Amino acid sequence: MDEALDVRWFDPNRINLLVGLSLFILFLFVNLRRARRAPSGLYIRTLPALQALDEAIGRATEMGRPVLYLPGLGDMSEVGTLAAVTISSRVARRVADMGCGLLVPCYDPVVAVLIDSATREAYTQAGRLDSYRSGTVQYVAAAQFAYVAAVTGLMLRERPAANVYMGSWYAESLFLAETGNETGAIQIAGCDQVTQLPFFVCSCDYTLLGEELYAASAYLGREPVQLATITAQDWAKILAAIVVVAAVVATFFGYTDIDKLLKTS
Amino acid sequence: MRQGPFVLTFLVGAMLIAIFFIPHYRAQQVQTQLLDWANIVYAFALALGSISLLVLHGNKVRAGGSQAKYSFVTVAALVVITVAGVVQGVEEGTLVNRIYNAVNAPLASTMFALLAFFIASAAFRAFRARNTEATLLLATALIMMFGRVSIGEFVWSGFPPLTEWLLDVPNLAAKRGVAIGVGLGAVATALKIILGIDRSYMGKA
Repeated sequence: MDEALDVRWFDPNRINLLVGLSLFILFLFVNLRRARRAPSGLYIRTLPALQALDEAIGRATEMGRPVLYLPGLGDMSEVGTLAAVTISSRVARRVADMGCGLLVPCYDPVVAVLIDSATREAYTQAGRLDSYRSGTVQYVAAAQFAYVAAVTGLMLRERPAANVYMGSWYAESLFLAETGNETGAIQIAGCDQVTQLPFFVCSCDYTLLGEELYAASAYLGREPVQLATITAQDWAKILAAIVVVAAVVATFFGYTDIDKLLKTS
Repeated sequence: MRQGPFVLTFLVGAMLIAIFFIPHYRAQQVQTQLLDWANIVYAFALALGSISLLVLHGNKVRAGGSQAKYSFVTVAALVVITVAGVVQGVEEGTLVNRIYNAVNAPLASTMFALLAFFIASAAFRAFRARNTEATLLLATALIMMFGRVSIGEFVWSGFPPLTEWLLDVPNLAAKRGVAIGVGLGAVATALKIILGIDRSYMGKA
């Protein structure tokens, strides 16, 4: 056997991550239990961007124009894209209920297949499968600026009344959001890329910042078990804040070894 | 009814989490194998997506109308590139390579160059001093611009260090705050899917 091969069954440099993940799972199960015992006991603050989603879809219905849903440029290995796929299902359900058109041009073919399946299912659950048009969800191009050209062209020709941007975005974010702004559409964005957030904030009516993108699906669904995951996330955030403050205080008093505990490979 | 995809998602998700903590070469081989399988899935989805694109735009061309010309260009480009790629390959000097260098690359560069104008129009809208936040944004942007051009230092030598402070202290603090939230949110989303709490990706709205 090659001596260079790693035969360890555990990486000790990742013990801190294992502890963190275990605590997170513990928080999750505690809150799932809470949610099952008292379903109305979990609070989630109002997210104006998602409150505006119904208004945007309603406006599109009244104007007889479609809703444009864009799931970002990430592939299925990115959590932002997973969130975009789950949100697309919620949006499709509302669009089907209200009876307006939906356009979902996709950058990634796998994402297109998944969203198509989720959208069909949403239309079926709404009892409106007959309204589902082939081509509602379409794969456009896996090249960044070809995708931009296709989507901005679609925006200018179809004039959607609402543009929803969810997922992982890169340099194309401003092209799309500014073009959408010019067409006068209500624009709602959710992005987990810190570098693209300012562009969406400038060009969109509402923006979900970072983690709010991941909370959107739970927020729209309102199921207690989904909300439990957000509460668990909040508990983890409080723990993270405590650890950060403790690390700062410890470093201030000369206990610099705490830095090693928080580092990982 | 739909327990199969859920069980598969749970098993693969749990396995990949475990592999993250196991550096053993056999575990890493499993991970590599799984990633290879993902490529195979991607290839099939790409074929499916291309066929769907061809059918959709083919129908639009047949239906005619003012937008049929765009669909014709899409279909023609897809067919020419695919046939040329299959027949000749994509190496230097092939038709695909020449089309890429002569058409695709300049078009992409042109699109990217337009970004400057979009930034200017977005900045103009955002920096109108309508309220306290927008005024603060405008002031910060002005400091940043003066700190980043040589004339800024000539006007006041304090601009460059002030710019650095803005980037390293308030900006970095906000970025890290968002990054921590995104990290935890990513873990929560992944667990929701692995544990079957969120099955919207399977159409469970």
